[in-house]
Amino acid sequence: MSKVPNMPKSWREETKPHKFCPGCGHGLILKALGEAIDELGIQDRVVFGCDIGCSLLSWDFFNVDAVQTHHGRTTPVMTGIKRARPDRICIAYMGDGGGYAIGSGHLVNAAARNEKLTVILANNCNYGMTGGQMAPTSLPHMKTETTPYGRDPEVTGYPTQGPEMVAAITRESAYVARGTVANVRQLKNYIKKALQNQIDGTGFSFVEALSGCPTNWSTNAKDTWAFIEKGMTEYFKVGEIKDPAKKEA
Amino acid sequence: MTTSAYKMKEVDTKKALFTIFTGICKGCGLCMEKCPAKTLVWSKTLGVYGTPAVEPKDAEGCTGCGMCATVCPDCAILIERKK
Ligand SMILES: Cc1ncc(C[n+]2csc(CCOP(=O)(O)OP(=O)(O)O)c2C)c(N)n1
Ligand code: SF4
Ligand code: SF4
Ligand code: SF4
Repeated sequence: MSKVPNMPKSWREETKPHKFCPGCGHGLILKALGEAIDELGIQDRVVFGCDIGCSLLSWDFFNVDAVQTHHGRTTPVMTGIKRARPDRICIAYMGDGGGYAIGSGHLVNAAARNEKLTVILANNCNYGMTGGQMAPTSLPHMKTETTPYGRDPEVTGYPTQGPEMVAAITRESAYVARGTVANVRQLKNYIKKALQNQIDGTGFSFVEALSGCPTNWSTNAKDTWAFIEKGMTEYFKVGEIKDPAKKEA
Repeated sequence: MTTSAYKMKEVDTKKALFTIFTGICKGCGLCMEKCPAKTLVWSKTLGVYGTPAVEPKDAEGCTGCGMCATVCPDCAILIERKK
């Protein structure tokens, strides 16, 4: 038997190498998600929804039922599937442009209604697929395609703190966390707890993952890690923000 | 189930058998930066996009810690530790 790579069981091997750029953080987030699905043993019940943006490159990433929707609309589409089939484990996967700008209303209202689904959002500080324009999450003074002199917070505001916003509008039964691709094991644990919150029917769950976009950042490997671990992590605090399990303990 | 037929290269080091699946490696270099032993170098063997893959520079440095495999977004590295 020929030797096989150590991919999560839920990954669809014949679609690998996957479609993301070299060094893209999406691959690491989906590795954490794949391991979480494997460890929870839920592959046959998962429905995976991906957004427009680079997240859509994952439409055939897993060996699960999948749907790709319009920009920012993944959350309501997955809400519909969950309401029609409550026995399914519904995962909405999107970028920061989809979740915090174009689809922010959908995220806010699904969270406020405490929909029993899991939203995973890749925060890479820009609009990746369209060429690196400023996103709500671009850091102050960060150079992007549309802010060549750096993002001026006086003109375009300060970066959106997504998990903090979701935590503020959800009930105590919601799970909310921010992980990072610089710590895949921790990110996997956050995603597992988010999925468990849905499996138990407890409430909404949301995990933002700090992610790399070396193509649009124009960074080599060293600078990619540095941007994630220093620049982004200084502004976006990694950790669990809301955990119903902790309340009960 | 498909059986994988990815191109690969094995490097036998003292502490672990290091396998790089060159048919998946995109040459991003994220693993090199995270290797605590700083033992990974660009390989003469090319990866899937025609850019250099990675491999341990000799049989000594690699500790078999598996960090490179953990941080690879493409699962292109397999570490088999020796007892
Ligand atoms: C309603 C709508 N507006 C704009 C676009 C164009 N568009 C396609 S991808 C994209 C950027 C996506 O960025 P993000 O959500 O941050 O994901 P990333 O690509 O960075 O992973 C945009 C604006 C669209 N497809 N639909
Ligand atoms: S453009 Fe950025 S986010 Fe999109 S696949 Fe490439 S590295 Fe990843
Ligand atoms: S992290 Fe993976 S894809 Fe990138 S250079 Fe290393 S082995 Fe290749
Ligand atoms: S197993 Fe550890 S020491 Fe060996 S190459 Fe990978 S990261 Fe470096």
